[in-house]
Amino acid sequence: MSYIEIRDLDFSYNGKKKVLESINLQVEKGEWIACLGHNGSGKSTLAKALVGLLEPELGEIEIDGLLLTEETAYEIRKKIGIVFQNPDNQFVGVTVRDDIAFGMENLCVPREEMIEKIDFYAKKVNMLDFLDKEPTNLSGGQKQQVAIAGILAMQSEIIIFDEATSMLDPFSREELIKYIRTLHKEGLTIIMITHDINEALLADKILVLNKGKIEAFEETEKIMKKREVFVESRLELPIALDLANALESNGNATKIRKKLWEYALTK
Amino acid sequence: MKSVIIGQYIPGKGLFYRLDPRTKIIAVLLIMIAVFLLESITHLLIGFGIAFMLLIIGRISVIKVIKGLKPIMILLIFTFIFQIILNREGEMIVNHEMYLTLYTALFLVLAFVVWRVLVKFTRFRFTMFFLFVAGVYLILRYVDFGYQLLSPFNFQVYEAGLRMSAFVVIRLLIIITLSTVLTLTTKPTNLTQGLEKLMHPLKKIGFNSEDFALIISISLRYIPTIFDEANKIMLAQASRGADFSEGKLKDKLKQVISLLVPMFIIAFMRSEELANAMESRNFVPGNKRTRINELIFSYRDVIATAFSVLVLALAIVLKVI
Ligand SMILES: Nc1ncnc2c1ncn2[C@@H]1O[C@H](COP(=O)(O)OP(=O)(O)OP(=O)(O)O)[C@@H](O)[C@H]1O
Ligand SMILES: [Mg+2]
Repeated sequence: MSYIEIRDLDFSYNGKKKVLESINLQVEKGEWIACLGHNGSGKSTLAKALVGLLEPELGEIEIDGLLLTEETAYEIRKKIGIVFQNPDNQFVGVTVRDDIAFGMENLCVPREEMIEKIDFYAKKVNMLDFLDKEPTNLSGGQKQQVAIAGILAMQSEIIIFDEATSMLDPFSREELIKYIRTLHKEGLTIIMITHDINEALLADKILVLNKGKIEAFEETEKIMKKREVFVESRLELPIALDLANALESNGNATKIRKKLWEYALTK
Repeated sequence: MKSVIIGQYIPGKGLFYRLDPRTKIIAVLLIMIAVFLLESITHLLIGFGIAFMLLIIGRISVIKVIKGLKPIMILLIFTFIFQIILNREGEMIVNHEMYLTLYTALFLVLAFVVWRVLVKFTRFRFTMFFLFVAGVYLILRYVDFGYQLLSPFNFQVYEAGLRMSAFVVIRLLIIITLSTVLTLTTKPTNLTQGLEKLMHPLKKIGFNSEDFALIISISLRYIPTIFDEANKIMLAQASRGADFSEGKLKDKLKQVISLLVPMFIIAFMRSEELANAMESRNFVPGNKRTRINELIFSYRDVIATAFSVLVLALAIVLKVI
């Protein structure tokens, strides 16, 4: 059995239109999954269902052998944390220290242990010097780092990033991605929702959602060869993929130059 | 818009910073009650002296406390004036005629204009206000020539009026000084935590002090963020030609609405997302939680509490005898 298993999941917000439909998904421990999909394809909905914020209409979710129900949601949330898009709307504490502590406080971690862990994880995300700072004095990237530290301090083993980089400037974005890489190396399971195809290419596997259904879920290299998946799901084509296609179909230099031009113009 | 400071907490050292917030809250309450029990001006003045000494012991800048008094200054002045004019008990101390003539009226208008202009250009607003009030008094008193708009009237100050106004003002001064010390030296988070702990016994009558503390701390957390946001929206609208500083009342109202609508929409989404973030980090309302910020009650707190109990006891004794 896989680490994360989703079986025949259906979900709708109002009972009419299905936002997620027959989702079947298996994620192994330590995998880095990128999730792509057009606006409204159901990525955030899937993420919220995974942490038990939304209750599926049909189907089951099982994490580390534990079936997600109302009773087990508390246990499951110890294993799985989520970083949302807007850094400001998930910073609960008045200071960095308070915010990292928030999850642990809810788990009734003794105070001495919390102090140790806060120092440890703040150091890990390079926020040790900021422990007494208030969120207004932090950049968006730093707030996201704090959110990660708070999740790690709860000893979570899975982190979902729901467009966690989309509101950051290019520099902070790169920092965060770099950080996600180290987390991956340390064995955490990562599900990264993104609109940035270049970010997605860093993952082991890519999940493509299209109108609430899984369009594709494959190793990154494999999916890169499938132009139709991207076209079908209304996604931006990775430039590398386009160039490779151009090369393959016809080794004509002008054609490749034209593709590069197009790419440069759209960026 | 300047960046907002919540409460008036100013980081620092000194005795009051090291006291437990609970101690400070209790002490301020006890001393407030004591102040209301005192019935003679001398006692009150002694009380004021003690409050002042506390400032010095705690190494708190008097200027900062005076700044804290500013918002309430107008209230104090009006209390003073109303008590003096309206209270007609006891001996009459001052009694003289006042006039309202055409010239008085002209001078009054002139004084008003000068005051408003000076306020725009100088930093001493309160001094200016005092000078204006004094000016109004002098004009009413001495400008007795010209066409009489009103027959001369008597300006009378009675002993009780003077005493009562002094009473009210000194009392308020003491209370505000104390509470300013409280807010100057206590972080808002600690203050709410102190309140939470003190109100814990109210759980028996169905008041959940933890929920209350959560409400306060979330508000404290989001006030600066919401102000930033208001700033951004105003800038965005200003860049499209909106002008928030000028215009008729109707225009202003329109602008305020155009500010409030997006702010409420954003706040709505924000609360939804914040609730999700809290829930995903295992927050369950009403569940037991440990705290990173523990309050520690030390020997200093014992002394401070004892001191405030003593003050109250003294006030009760003075009241009884
Ligand atoms: N709280 C809600 N109530 C009702 N409908 C919702 C709610 N949240 C999302 N939806 C709808 O569900 C669908 C999927 O939304 P979801 O947020 O999961 O998409 P997404 O893939 O995350 O999109 P985006 O890339 O814009 O973040 C959309 O059609 C959306 O309008
Ligand atoms: Mg989304």
